[in-house]
Amino acid sequence: MSGRVKAIAQVLALGCVAGLLALLVWQLQNQSHAPHVGAVAPAFTLQRLDGPGKVSLASYRGKPIVLNFWASWCEPCKSEATVLERDWTSYRNRGVVFLGVDFHDLASDARRFVGAHALTFPMLEDGSGNVTTGSYGVAQVPETYVINRQGRIVAHLAGPITDPGFAREFRTAIAKAVA
Amino acid sequence: MIVRVAAVAAVALVFAAPAAACAHPRTSLAYLQGQVMCPTCHTTLDMSDSQAARQIDVFISKKIAACWTAKQIESALVANYGRGILAAPSHKGFDLLAWWLPIVAVLGGALVLAFGVWRWSRRRDPEEPEEPAGSGLDEETERRLDEVLARFE
Repeated sequence: MSGRVKAIAQVLALGCVAGLLALLVWQLQNQSHAPHVGAVAPAFTLQRLDGPGKVSLASYRGKPIVLNFWASWCEPCKSEATVLERDWTSYRNRGVVFLGVDFHDLASDARRFVGAHALTFPMLEDGSGNVTTGSYGVAQVPETYVINRQGRIVAHLAGPITDPGFAREFRTAIAKAVA
Repeated sequence: MIVRVAAVAAVALVFAAPAAACAHPRTSLAYLQGQVMCPTCHTTLDMSDSQAARQIDVFISKKIAACWTAKQIESALVANYGRGILAAPSHKGFDLLAWWLPIVAVLGGALVLAFGVWRWSRRRDPEEPEEPAGSGLDEETERRLDEVLARFE
């Protein structure tokens, strides 16, 4: 092989390797991770599921927030929904905001789910899952974040709050967020 | 799996009557299962047995029964889940790379291979024996060699 062809082949090979490395770095940098407890809750704006318009997390700044991720096809979400509604009615007088985020779900099925469980707290839809899996790194529903008045995460519950362990942690977290 | 098939079959049966009146050939669940991704498991629907996939199966079956075309069903799913719900990338913008890159790679590979084979075959060609420009012997030695050879003739 002549020297020139060899040099071109080497440059091409090096270019390919550099491209693959860049891709790997980009992939690692853009990998979604659940935000840590103590970190500022990632901002988002999502379409309302239960009516027209959009809702942003920032609009609730100054209030403790319970952010619950769910889907109508999720079995544990069904029993959790009842508990969430009950807690919402008891905590709302203390200024706690409950927000439900339905993700990777058909909006029609999600609305049916909300109706069937008589859920009255604000519901948002994240069909593409960009916020849920991207910003909040939710791997499986249900998951719940408790956010304090300063917009910082107080607790991340990666499971249904009907679970006794999570239920305890949930109440402790709300008490912390309200304080 | 059995539950999933039964649920889809039940939905298909419920909607079977209006489906018979479709003005155009109906698409099939099996076809769309290969075109649509399960949003939670990142495989196509036909490779997934998750709850989310089952929910989409039921949705598709209902729409097929209601005479929706594959395009209409895909559009409805994209409107709900975003572009990522489709297994195949679109034919425009950055997504075009996904279609063209494999073709370019295969063509490039074929070219490199052809070039390599060509070089290799050239190297293996038997070289023509070159006409000796001279014996390399001086005149005296050559004369003596001719004499010795003449004796053997």
